[in-house]
Amino acid sequence: MKREDVKEFNGENGKPAYIIFKGKVYDVTESRLWKNGKHMGRHKAGGDMTDFISMAPHDEKVLDKVKYVCDIEEDIPKEDPKEKWRNLYRRYHPHPIFIHFPMGVLYFGVFMLFLFLIFKISEFERTAYYALLFGGTSVFPAVITGLMSWYINYDRTLTEIFKNKIIYSSFLILLVINAVVARVLSGNQEEGNLWFYIYAISYLLAIPVMTFVAYNGGRITWPD
Amino acid sequence: MAGLNDMNKQEKIKAIEEMIQIVLLRIPKEIEAMHFYIKAAEKSTTDEAKNLFIALAQQEKGHEAELRRILNDLKQQLMELKNG
Repeated sequence: MKREDVKEFNGENGKPAYIIFKGKVYDVTESRLWKNGKHMGRHKAGGDMTDFISMAPHDEKVLDKVKYVCDIEEDIPKEDPKEKWRNLYRRYHPHPIFIHFPMGVLYFGVFMLFLFLIFKISEFERTAYYALLFGGTSVFPAVITGLMSWYINYDRTLTEIFKNKIIYSSFLILLVINAVVARVLSGNQEEGNLWFYIYAISYLLAIPVMTFVAYNGGRITWPD
Repeated sequence: MAGLNDMNKQEKIKAIEEMIQIVLLRIPKEIEAMHFYIKAAEKSTTDEAKNLFIALAQQEKGHEAELRRILNDLKQQLMELKNG
């Protein structure tokens, strides 16, 4: 009997109830603990119970009380295609590495921009701009590896945290691009230049937006 | 605390979505813990320690399997609520 065939024996509508345990098929139809193919309202007949045994209040000796049917045929465990990527991700954890670049550099850049606004020393502004170029560019690998993690570890399940991260990361990218474009259009004229104000406001706004994205990342690492 | 039966549809959807998030975020932690215990078992110098770590790894595998089962049930419930 193949693994797929066992699924048919789900104990529903008078069908026999079979379960798989460590590559063997057992008939639990007669067991009072498997009425209509359900065990304790949680486990369904037709499935593989191997991984659940460590959670059970009994050990595998209970299977001595039910009928052995056969071994599973051609039972090459189907490897989850994501497992390879999951292992690579676990080993190199790229997202936590990459998020620190925009976090560090953009905060630093805004600090330089503040210094410029206070002291009017152009070197501060230039430093802020270079930090924007580097920090803004580094948002992309952070976002890409974040999407990878979402796909590999969370099966792209869209919960509130992931919605927040996707929406506000997109907003962050727009702000960074807007800031760079406005800075280029400002033509190095700071005082009374509308483009320069757009640049400065976009740059400053990027900080709370990025912080909110990071806060949601923290909620994944340290759930409420 | 109100149970699902005492809630209106929108509240039920919100409660299930929150549960999905809680369960979902836990799964990689269980996988991580399982790998940690497997590595610890490989590095163990006594049979006693090795067996302990293998048992712990199996428990984590069980937690992961149970969480995935709950997650699938919750996703199913959510889909039925949204479509119903």
